[in-house]
Amino acid sequence: MQQLRRDPILGRWIIIHYDRIKEPVDYKDNSAGKKNTEKFCPFCTGNEDKTPPEIYVDRPPETRPNEPGWNLRVIANKFPALRIEGDLQPRGIGIYDFMNGVGAHEVIIESPDHTKDIADLSTEQVSKVILAYKHRCIDLKKDRRFQYILIFKNHGRSAGASLEHTHSQLIALPIEPKKVREALQGAQKYYSFKERCIYCDIMRQELEERARLISENEYFIAFTPFASCSPYEMWIMPKEHCSVFHHLKEEAIGSLASMLKDILLRLKKVLTDPPFNFIINTAPIQHEAELDYYHWHIEIVPKLTKVAGFEWGSGFYINPSPPEKAAQLLREVS
Amino acid sequence: MPELRKDPVIGRWVIIATERAKRPSDFTGQQKHVKETGDCPFCSGYEDKTPPEIFAVREPQTSPNRPGWYVRDVPSMFPLMQIEGDIDRQGRGLYDQMNGIGAHEIIIETPKHIANIADLEVKQIAAVFDVYIQRIKDLEQDKRIKYVLLYKNYGVAAGGSSIRHCRTQLMALPVNPKRVKEELVGARRYYEYRERCIFCDMIRQECSTHTRVIERVDGFIAFAPYASRFPFEVWILPEDHGCDFHRLENTKGLARIMKLVMKKLSCALDDPPYNYILHTAPFRRMSSAGFWKTIDYDYHWHLEIMPRLTKIAGFEWGSGFYINPMSPEDAAKYLKDVEV
Repeated sequence: MQQLRRDPILGRWIIIHYDRIKEPVDYKDNSAGKKNTEKFCPFCTGNEDKTPPEIYVDRPPETRPNEPGWNLRVIANKFPALRIEGDLQPRGIGIYDFMNGVGAHEVIIESPDHTKDIADLSTEQVSKVILAYKHRCIDLKKDRRFQYILIFKNHGRSAGASLEHTHSQLIALPIEPKKVREALQGAQKYYSFKERCIYCDIMRQELEERARLISENEYFIAFTPFASCSPYEMWIMPKEHCSVFHHLKEEAIGSLASMLKDILLRLKKVLTDPPFNFIINTAPIQHEAELDYYHWHIEIVPKLTKVAGFEWGSGFYINPSPPEKAAQLLREVS
Repeated sequence: MPELRKDPVIGRWVIIATERAKRPSDFTGQQKHVKETGDCPFCSGYEDKTPPEIFAVREPQTSPNRPGWYVRDVPSMFPLMQIEGDIDRQGRGLYDQMNGIGAHEIIIETPKHIANIADLEVKQIAAVFDVYIQRIKDLEQDKRIKYVLLYKNYGVAAGGSSIRHCRTQLMALPVNPKRVKEELVGARRYYEYRERCIFCDMIRQECSTHTRVIERVDGFIAFAPYASRFPFEVWILPEDHGCDFHRLENTKGLARIMKLVMKKLSCALDDPPYNYILHTAPFRRMSSAGFWKTIDYDYHWHLEIMPRLTKIAGFEWGSGFYINPMSPEDAAKYLKDVEV
């Protein structure tokens, strides 16, 4: 039997396919694969001159910029999707609108160690990664041309990673992306009727039902969303209401790092190192103040199914692993 | 300089990253070679390997579920929706759900073991489109169904199976899909102010600038859309306004342009994986909620063909925004020039 579930924020329907339930072993072929240490890697220590100069770095005081000794580096993307120079100059030709592709595209090299994935790094190192995200957001939001900062990670070739050395990316956009706008609108609609944040309500319901809960610590919870688009999709959310990622308090960074590491390790074990994307969903940067109706969160999406004609045509997703079952397996793995 | 383009209907932005511009050859050879199955369930002579047929175009005097057919429509062997039962909507706290009532059918486009629609004859392709029309008209009678989505997954990278036999999937849904709604809302917004169909305006503008037009055949136009999400994305539209695909009277012209475009894609990109999707208006029943009267005027059915050459990664997923390394003007030029 199939069940249609509606995403409470976006209004999008998802098909949960109970007749064709897939077990973790069914996804085995998707493994991100072993790392090749022989091949040249521009992100490794010693190859600093092969990348654009560092924008942000975590390194001991006795070492010099763009030389070995660093723990984490942020650099401009060598093949940027958007360019930092220039103005937007929005214009139109007939019915078509366009503007210059102005923005920032940066790469966060999470560790000098080529052999490790983010899940294998120490909690302290993951904290450094989160701190780097936060600092880059605070710096980039000063640029008035930008409206949104998207931080994401592609792990594994089929999830879009072109280099295997663990890294994440940041793109500062001159417009509010459609997905973000949809989520904001959905959340605002709920708030204007109920006067409560929909994400806080989701969290309350998840903590009560517990069927989709994976893990919980002092500041964060992790669960599989009710209308997950992809098998084993997971969300990490701060327990305290907060709409802007870079407003994350210093004392909560360690808690987020250990949650992220824990969740990614569970995923790696249950599905034998699957390719995945994670995305930080946060409020647009021009809202300096906190929004009552939005709640930042990290979305982790394993790449296990193919998006085909049906998903493209309908915007409707088919998920062959019920989120309750996925949460149970993720909870039980040690 | 990369450029940001806004899809005029949906309002979705696309990054045309011309600095990463690629030639067709950079995308080729992506179609993995898959082994041919000896007993393909979709071939003539293997009718008993599929569920019994719902509809078929066949020789007179041949009986159902036997050879002698040209196009055959059967229920999916792995249905994502089921036809039996009533719609049951429920809420649990914040969360809404319903059971998966609908239909999932497979339209087998040829009795021969041919993989690509480009290799079928025009007459055969027209017969396939006639079956699309038949099935939509039949499913329109079922009041539980709101929308019929017809699409094709060709090649493993496009989500197709390894059985390389030409077929279309049909999904009849009890809800209007979000993508469809977005497009309808975008088209209505444009119509409200201008009282013109946005797609008709698009056709006029494409015909006057000409840089993105690939072909015009028998009242149909094929062009690379202005805000293409994918390299070599192609849309086919009827030049005469019409919102319902199933009101199309003659499918010959459509079959002719379809064959031409698919042949060109196949030659230019060495048999690439692709998806195509038929975008048509939802069923309009006066009693249902959300009905609006201008759909007949503001919406225009069309086919979207998307070669699957690039990967969708965290950025696209997080933003709903696409990075396309090839400008549609270049894509149109290649496709216009390629000899078939």
